[in-house]
Amino acid sequence: MTLQLNVNGQNHQVNVSDGSMPLLWVLRDLLGLTGTKYGCGIEVCGACTVMVDGQPELSCDLDVTSAAGRKIVTIEGLSANRSHPVQQAWVAGQVPQCGYCQSGVIMTMACKMKAGARGSDAVKEVKNLCVCGTYQRMKEASKTI
Amino acid sequence: MTNTQEKKSSSRRSFLSAAASGLTLTFLIPDFTRIDEALGASGTQVNAWLNVAIDETITLTVGSSEMGQGSFTGLAQVVAEELMVDFSRVRTVQGSPSMTSPVPVGASINTVGSGVIRGNFWKMRDAGAIAREMLVKAAMNQRADQVRTNFTVANGVVTHTPTRSTLSYGSLAAAAALLPPPATAPLVPDNEFRIIGKTVPRQDIPSKVDGSAKYGLDVQVPGMVYAVVKHCPTFGGTMSTKPSTPSGMLAVVPLSVFAGTGRGTEVTGAVNAIAVVGPNTWDVWQASRRLTVRWNLPANAASLNDAEFLRQANALAVSAPAYVPGGANPPGTLYTVEGAAAATDSALSSSAKIVDATYFLPYVSHACMEVLNCTVSYSPAVKCEIWAPTQSAKSVLQLAMAMTGLLENQIVVHTMYLGGGLGRKAEVDFVSQAIQVSIAVGKPVKLMWPREEDFARDQYRPMGLVHAKAGLDSSGNITGWSYRNISPSILGQRGAVLGPKGDSQGSEASNALPYNFGSRNVEWVSHPSPIPVGFWRSVGASINTFAVECFMDELAAAANQDPYQFRRTKLTDPRWIAVLDAAAQLGNWTSPLPAGRTRGIAIGAAFNSIVAQVVEISNVTTTSITINRVSLAIDPYIHVNPGQIEAQMQGGIVHGLNAALYGKQTFVNGAAQAKNFNRSRMIRLNEMPQIAVQIVANPTLSDRTRVIGGAGELGVPTFAPALANAYFKKTGKRQRSLPFFPNATMGEL
Repeated sequence: MTLQLNVNGQNHQVNVSDGSMPLLWVLRDLLGLTGTKYGCGIEVCGACTVMVDGQPELSCDLDVTSAAGRKIVTIEGLSANRSHPVQQAWVAGQVPQCGYCQSGVIMTMACKMKAGARGSDAVKEVKNLCVCGTYQRMKEASKTI
Repeated sequence: MTNTQEKKSSSRRSFLSAAASGLTLTFLIPDFTRIDEALGASGTQVNAWLNVAIDETITLTVGSSEMGQGSFTGLAQVVAEELMVDFSRVRTVQGSPSMTSPVPVGASINTVGSGVIRGNFWKMRDAGAIAREMLVKAAMNQRADQVRTNFTVANGVVTHTPTRSTLSYGSLAAAAALLPPPATAPLVPDNEFRIIGKTVPRQDIPSKVDGSAKYGLDVQVPGMVYAVVKHCPTFGGTMSTKPSTPSGMLAVVPLSVFAGTGRGTEVTGAVNAIAVVGPNTWDVWQASRRLTVRWNLPANAASLNDAEFLRQANALAVSAPAYVPGGANPPGTLYTVEGAAAATDSALSSSAKIVDATYFLPYVSHACMEVLNCTVSYSPAVKCEIWAPTQSAKSVLQLAMAMTGLLENQIVVHTMYLGGGLGRKAEVDFVSQAIQVSIAVGKPVKLMWPREEDFARDQYRPMGLVHAKAGLDSSGNITGWSYRNISPSILGQRGAVLGPKGDSQGSEASNALPYNFGSRNVEWVSHPSPIPVGFWRSVGASINTFAVECFMDELAAAANQDPYQFRRTKLTDPRWIAVLDAAAQLGNWTSPLPAGRTRGIAIGAAFNSIVAQVVEISNVTTTSITINRVSLAIDPYIHVNPGQIEAQMQGGIVHGLNAALYGKQTFVNGAAQAKNFNRSRMIRLNEMPQIAVQIVANPTLSDRTRVIGGAGELGVPTFAPALANAYFKKTGKRQRSLPFFPNATMGEL
């Protein structure tokens, strides 16, 4: 089946054999947007978090058919040149270690801040799993935004 | 230069290539790998490649892997210091492995044992210094003045002081490339360091906040197909019948265990998995899920369960046949690591008080955020290109040569960023599978293990049962220390023939402890469980430091002494005492605590660094403990980037914390039971304790004879015992078995 997706402000036509394919794999395999990560596939870790109509969504469990026609923003489209305040704070605060979970963390933060939260409040709502344990630096970096 | 150090040749040989692009130094340094060390191998190979280009750029090609530990940045700092340039001018790039030397390509440093910085600190300094002196020599020739003291270097510019004329590195690089490298070069004195010992930003971080960093799983190659692996759920099981290819899929490829990649139950040649191959990850994964594969289960499957492993360990704690030189020494053999049982038993028998305790630690999964994966493009008899998130690029190269019969120069290995390595990605089983699939289907393929396979087919941190027994005299002195660890052998599963002291990985951090134990006897027994085991961040220290430091706490209690002071009076190494003092001070050990809080302390060493932690807790329930604060002191002897050491300590503490509270893998009929994060709980941000880190200063950095400590794994070992000791203070109960909360689960976001 063919679907229209709006990702990072651009319309894409995607062909999937199965409308239940999660958005995660459409982004990664079909659109080549690999910044969104696969971690658990069961909505526990948050590595796959993207912004859908301004809200954080776990793309590993969002059918592509449900995502069609909505505004999807991935880490690649969050800003030009890493200029989003969360990205800037994450670099300044030297937050990432392996970095694999950080796309999901940053997108979660960005959604919370879009809703008007300050960084130090937004970070309290971050439940994403970080196996490297960068939580303390996430908290410290959030205080600056 | 006021403090020119004597040096041996840095570079057992330095290889120079004169190229239009400028000065390229390829330095050959002894390969430093823990696994190679342990297996008795050694090697000399190209580890890094330093280029000073005519356009003023400086590039350091590094062959080790970047998995968040920041060692690329650390190596660049060391080189920049000696080259006398700003840190920002040294760019690091990922190198490829090589078998032969010299070759003008990058490194082959297996990224294990917290070893990249500690194994290369002096070599990188020498390399930077040699390159700098060659550039100065080129300036001397150009100015026709051979008096070295007439030249100074700053910010990559050589100044001829009599004429005040300057020459940039870029303008000198082509001429320098024609000069023979000196065997030695003077190093920057410690008191003139501008970069070593300073926190600088990691070079890889910007790419990790915008999705542009490419991890193994992100690789995309033209014409690529996707493979998803499905193993026999039971360790030791093999495929009975090859299933037919599901509709819409390209192939089902049986995967066999290639020589050198199987551990324990997984024997060479056994078909223990299949790969379903098709057009994209999701469709292939769904087809794999629906596919019924008939497996032949091993005859011993029913015995591969936790109760049986514990029964075996308990039996071996009481009685095990001793190692016989030249004998078969099958699993279950007792190895004497230190001391002698008879002497210690005798010392114990005359003690005023005897204390003994048994500790148990489970198998633990690695659970890297990025699942195992590998991409391979194979052209028969022509080329094999591999993209892998690997800690062991050289092992990948060797494997590919063995599997394809291709020559080294027909194989290209791309080390990708690792979404965590933690020791699991030092293995190459998943690489061998991707090579098999690419050969079978004749196309480039990206192979992935779904999360459930990643948990269920790990090479786990070994389980361990430790029985400890010690005596105290009436003054609280330790009269004798008897310690026996029973755990499956990591090196034994890799084909090593164990010597009289057994598996160094299993006994590490249990012997040569600088405590005054009176008579000591340390033993290690190889547990016969064939469940695959491997290197898990901090390896044997994660087991032994828990047992040793919990037991020290029990002895302190038995002697009615403060646990910090008890340790302090028993320690014989001033560095350990300084680290213990620093942690105690940072953790306000002697200050009163708020109501409801308690503290615990522990100290240990691994990879030549000494670490002590004070853990502060409150609110203990049957399902949770609040961990409020962790205060950690580390003496790594040298520290290149203190901010990065702090980050690694924070990360190591969280790793140790997750394992201590929740970490375990269990087995029923040879099948792993925890297959995703929901059954392998880890803390989230709201549970993060406040962590303070102090690096204990060492004033004598320039002493080449001193061992240098690692950082990557050092936060882990001392956390669990410090927590258990705080728990005892809080509850009066000893937690001798980990994890604290074996039934914890983790819910959806």
